[in-house]
Amino acid sequence: MSSRGAVGFVANPASGKDIRRITARASVFDNQEKTAMVRRCLIGLRAMSDAPIRYLADANRLVESALAELGFDGEAVDVETNGKALDTTNAAVAMRGAGAVVTLGGDGTNRAFAKGWLDAPLIPLSTGTNNAFPVMREATTAGAAAGLLVSRRIPLEAVAERAKVIHVDIEGEPPDLALIDAVLTQDRFVGARALDDPGKLVAAMLTRADPAGVGMTSVGGFAHPLAERDDATLTLTFDRASPRRVVAALAPGRFESIGLGQTRTATLGEPMRLTGPGVLAFDGERERVLAPGQAATFRTLRDGPWVVDVRKVLTRAVACGGR
Amino acid sequence: MSTPSDDVLLDIHRRMVRIRTFETEAGRMAEAGKIPGALHLYVGEEAVAAGVMVHLSNEDWITSTHRGHGHLIAKGGEFDRMFAELFGRATGYCRGKGGSMHISNMDLGMLGANGIVGAGPPIAVGAAFSTKYRKTDRVAVTFFGDGASNEGSFHEAANMAALYKLPVIFVCENNGYGEYTPQAKHQAIVDVADRASGYGMPGVVVDGMDAMAVYEAADAAIERARAGDGPTLLECKTYRFFDHVGVRGMGLTYRTDEELAEWQKRDPIHLFEARLAELGVLSKDDAVAIHEEVLAEVRAGIEFAEASPTPDPDTLLDDVYA
Repeated sequence: MSSRGAVGFVANPASGKDIRRITARASVFDNQEKTAMVRRCLIGLRAMSDAPIRYLADANRLVESALAELGFDGEAVDVETNGKALDTTNAAVAMRGAGAVVTLGGDGTNRAFAKGWLDAPLIPLSTGTNNAFPVMREATTAGAAAGLLVSRRIPLEAVAERAKVIHVDIEGEPPDLALIDAVLTQDRFVGARALDDPGKLVAAMLTRADPAGVGMTSVGGFAHPLAERDDATLTLTFDRASPRRVVAALAPGRFESIGLGQTRTATLGEPMRLTGPGVLAFDGERERVLAPGQAATFRTLRDGPWVVDVRKVLTRAVACGGR
Repeated sequence: MSTPSDDVLLDIHRRMVRIRTFETEAGRMAEAGKIPGALHLYVGEEAVAAGVMVHLSNEDWITSTHRGHGHLIAKGGEFDRMFAELFGRATGYCRGKGGSMHISNMDLGMLGANGIVGAGPPIAVGAAFSTKYRKTDRVAVTFFGDGASNEGSFHEAANMAALYKLPVIFVCENNGYGEYTPQAKHQAIVDVADRASGYGMPGVVVDGMDAMAVYEAADAAIERARAGDGPTLLECKTYRFFDHVGVRGMGLTYRTDEELAEWQKRDPIHLFEARLAELGVLSKDDAVAIHEEVLAEVRAGIEFAEASPTPDPDTLLDDVYA
């Protein structure tokens, strides 16, 4: 079945459960609350639209159980699932053409989705840990916005902004991407994934540097703020012995003093070339191992997801008349 | 979190190899009819025991499960006395009267395997309470499965541990099955860690096939416990490569060969050895040598057990406390 004209749903059952619950003071986001959010979102959607619903079926049945409880119809996208981030990427491929996709998760969830559908129209709702990309927003009206966006054929350009993306080329391996930050660390393992040790930071590229954010965006934000709307990217190198330091919120409930090397605002498309050994972390999570001498290049472009502004959609819909 | 030295990495690897080799040979012995009773083997789950136990000393306690050999081996158990116990010989850890599911050793802080599902957590809470009462920095780690997380004993233990901020680490080895029952048919949740917040403790999910993921999470949880900040529920997603009982078990069709094969692609020992080779910490040849060395030790343990006497019938009521 085609996803054209549908509203997609991806709710990540794994978000909000990593080691930062104990290494920091990250919030606990259990799956019952995620299901409740999906439920509210579906109610908002159906209040405004009869658009078909397509969703990623996960082992927790987050969307499926919400649909069943409400008596709404929906169709799971036909992808193999194994409880990994790849499920989300594959679901994104299957959802291409949908009018809007609601994601429940953190930066990692949206990154996984963007890997499957780079310019998706996203309504990203936060349920993760270091959430710079998704927003904390009530799901009810987010669902309504998804419905209106699809049913009213509101031009995406009028209510959404195109996000920046860091494209990562890795010598001899498949490429990767990040939505907020790409980092080289001196770690030796992917391990429990969360970027934890500031003493191991080598270099980073950021699409946004927000002192009000948490994670690497906070580190950049306290050094040199950069907004998502700015057509630029921030590059940083780190030096643990440097007297030039920032105190930043590396994780929820955890500030660290971090030694800076060079900080530079670069133009979009300008490459940052790094070599291993080390581990590459994307959007706060260690993801890929870089062998000694193996090169990786970061490059920020504004070719990412269309991030829908829920308020703009609703305001525009009101201006054009009710349902 | 601490950064593991090469020696620590090799230690974790050796603990995993010791478990795998012991269990594989124990399985062979059981299927040959040489070991009485049921064996619940730990093959596939080695990264959990090794990644946790490398942080503990003999002063720290653990409570184990019916699938407990791996826990004791990772805690420092000796092959000869373990095999002797499995064979029911007087030289075993429990003088041959405990067997596979009741093996224990206080010198190693091993408070016991346990044939009763979910019986370990309250024992660990008691041990941890003694830590608080005596003002020491010992911690108690209790291993249990997804099935055990449905037992009242787990819930009562979790409640009390959080209430008194006791130094307990609840390690859920979620292998997806309570004996032969898929998790989806015995509980309405997928992440046992979700239950932690209900008791007022943090819950964390890690990849239980990745020794370093377990190592890092256990490090943080144990550090938290020693600092007096209370318990943690650490859920490790893992899989047992053998059947619930024995190797091939009863041949029930509760899981598919394809599912097993998929998990075996992420064999924790193979994954770890591959990364250690990339890092130049352990060459393939050295890894093979460690496997052979451990196998020789296992075989010596079996010989020791087979040559050991059975318990004297006159000692039947010795060591019986209740």
